Amino acid sequence: MNPIKSISTGFSDICRVFRTEMNAIVHDVGALLFFVVLPLFYPIVYTLIYNPEVVDNLPVAVVDNCRSAESRRLVRMIGATPELEIYDYVPDMQEARRLWAEQKVVGVVEIPADYSRRIALGEQAHVQFFCDMTLLLRYRAALNALTSVQLAAGAEITQHRIDATGLLGGGVSASPVGVDTSFLGDTQQGFASFIIPGIVILILQQSMVLGICLLRGTEEERRRRGIPAADSSMSSFATVFGRALTYVFFYFPATIYTLHFVPVWFHLPHQGEALQWILFILPFLSASAMFGMMLSYCLRRREDCFIYIVFTSVVFLFLSGLTWPRFAMPSFWYALADCIPATWGVEGFVRINSNAGTLYEQSGPYMWLWALTGVYFVASMILQKIRKKTA
Amino acid sequence: MSAFTDSIRLGAAQLTARRMYVIAMVLVPLLTTAFFLSLMHSGLPLRTPVGIVDKDISPSSRSVTRMLNAEEVLDIRYHYDSFEEAMASVRRGESFGFFLIPENFERDAVAGKNPSLSLFTNMSFFVPGTLSFKGFKTGAVLTSGGLAQTKLTAIGLTDRATQALLQPVVVDSHPIGNPWLNYNYYLTNSFMPALLQLMILLVTIYSITVEIKHGTSVRWIQTAGGSVTRALAGKLLPQLAVWLLTGMAMLAMMFGFGHFPLNCSIWLIAGAMALMIVASQALGVFIACALPNPRLALSVAALTGILTFSVAAFSYPVPSMYGAIGIFSYILPVRYYFLIYGAQALNGLPVYYSRFYFAALTAFPFVCGCLAWRLKRACLKPVYVP
Repeated sequence: MNPIKSISTGFSDICRVFRTEMNAIVHDVGALLFFVVLPLFYPIVYTLIYNPEVVDNLPVAVVDNCRSAESRRLVRMIGATPELEIYDYVPDMQEARRLWAEQKVVGVVEIPADYSRRIALGEQAHVQFFCDMTLLLRYRAALNALTSVQLAAGAEITQHRIDATGLLGGGVSASPVGVDTSFLGDTQQGFASFIIPGIVILILQQSMVLGICLLRGTEEERRRRGIPAADSSMSSFATVFGRALTYVFFYFPATIYTLHFVPVWFHLPHQGEALQWILFILPFLSASAMFGMMLSYCLRRREDCFIYIVFTSVVFLFLSGLTWPRFAMPSFWYALADCIPATWGVEGFVRINSNAGTLYEQSGPYMWLWALTGVYFVASMILQKIRKKTA
Repeated sequence: MSAFTDSIRLGAAQLTARRMYVIAMVLVPLLTTAFFLSLMHSGLPLRTPVGIVDKDISPSSRSVTRMLNAEEVLDIRYHYDSFEEAMASVRRGESFGFFLIPENFERDAVAGKNPSLSLFTNMSFFVPGTLSFKGFKTGAVLTSGGLAQTKLTAIGLTDRATQALLQPVVVDSHPIGNPWLNYNYYLTNSFMPALLQLMILLVTIYSITVEIKHGTSVRWIQTAGGSVTRALAGKLLPQLAVWLLTGMAMLAMMFGFGHFPLNCSIWLIAGAMALMIVASQALGVFIACALPNPRLALSVAALTGILTFSVAAFSYPVPSMYGAIGIFSYILPVRYYFLIYGAQALNGLPVYYSRFYFAALTAFPFVCGCLAWRLKRACLKPVYVP
């Protein structure tokens, strides 16, 4: 066969598959729901959930057994932190426990009776803080606040002592070294700023996989009723390639919207150069499309995607390393995570988007995504061949 | 009575007709629980890979490096020559932060010129960012304290006096119920019941609406003697039996094999789990009644089920959310289960404090059952819209 002719037939086949598939998507309300509505609205809903960003004004109860000027000063300092708020003074721990049990407070500060005496004697005073641990984010906020209070109150008392005794004359300071802290990426330590850039990548992958599985499930149901797929006469290569092209093409506008406008509207970190992340996201979309197609051959009914695919979002979220860091994963799960496009998508996109990384610096995830595209493409082609044979 | 037994038989037959039910009702929840338990086996991600930029190269700066590396949360894996190199390494994702010791650090510190240590952590990844920050901060404070202590000891103060002078106030933290700050206890206890709720919603809705799809709904209602309540009971009771077994197996995996802290009777948490399962089935019935069409109902269930992981406030608290969003957490059965778990299993409080949550879970079947008439109408005149 003339090679030029075979190339041109292949090309026109791909174009026909593209047209058929586009037609199938546009005429399927369910697929449109996954392909359009989900990527458009889910990122907004998620951002609205987390948009207040920080946990502040957590109510705490105070049991002040000392009742001195020093203890009151400490409580005022605690109440002045953005994270904590003094809910009330209570007479004893029993009462504080009741407030905690009723969820009126999330923590209890207990100041010992000898607090001011110890400070006056130049000894170390210990203050107890009890914290509810139902949510770790609250504990983190409370601990941050109390650490800064501990340092501030300590510095104040030390300075006072130094001044009062004249002991340390000149040249000696209680803190000879300063500390500058810089938070990179999510500079305000906000929760939405941290989680949304990763979540949107996961939403893109999962909505695409769900949509593909729905389309193929429908096709399978029709096939068993004797209605062959519109492009059943094509080669497996043209079918798989043409369809993947359709999905990537269809997703491109939604991707720009999700990855550019959502962070801009909600003032989330968005540092990367547009060209860098757009080039990065192409292999991610291709890998997701191929991944979705490979999975879709395992499903036989239209509704199957809900049962078999929806729950994987939770699994893929944890495998991506967004919540539980990848370096702490057992090797088996680490290897499994390597096979999921979203893992590399999250890793590369977050570093470009939040840390202003370049495509070159993300060459690892970038290569992985192309490799996954290739592997899943071959797998889908084999599965397509098998399906055509059994048909 | 025979109509009821027939319904039950029909419901049980449906469960055994397809492999999907076993996978969705038993394998998915249990394997995902095993995945969570295994993934977060270590409880807290220790030894975060970080780097150090030592521009001083003095005995003091080396001792700072050694001290940082001795912290369990840090692993000083990289030594950089410059700030730019360190930043590039963070952007590449090799390290999650770095510690910068400036030039002439030792000299300035001894001379009382108050040099500054700088620490940088990548908060784009929250958990390793937070942990490396904690490690760096401790290291910096200890360095500062150590240098001051040397000086104070040199001018004749005792160790105890210097410590009191350097840190006059100490706040001792007591994290109630989870003093290890174990993420496994924290995340698995909330995410796994939410996953179970998701699967219950999907399977309940699928098993009901598939009757409409296949046009078998008329026979289903007729078998139950024309009563939609009896028909639903016949379908859902066999499923309930399977869900209860799965739910109890999940609890056994967490509290038994996983040795999760349990500060109340196991029967109490098992009871809450059972109520949560029934309430989730009820919510599934409600969605199926409101939208008696497989695709629409399953889509709504999938959206609700996945948003549950965020809206039920397992990581970000409801009082901190916008009111209009936080209110949705109260229509989710697993939210009440989570509150019961927190009060009972984690905090070991008297049951009295969870009375409203138990009541809310019990109320679900009664509230959700009130739409059953819509389902009956849809079943007797099945219209399948794909």
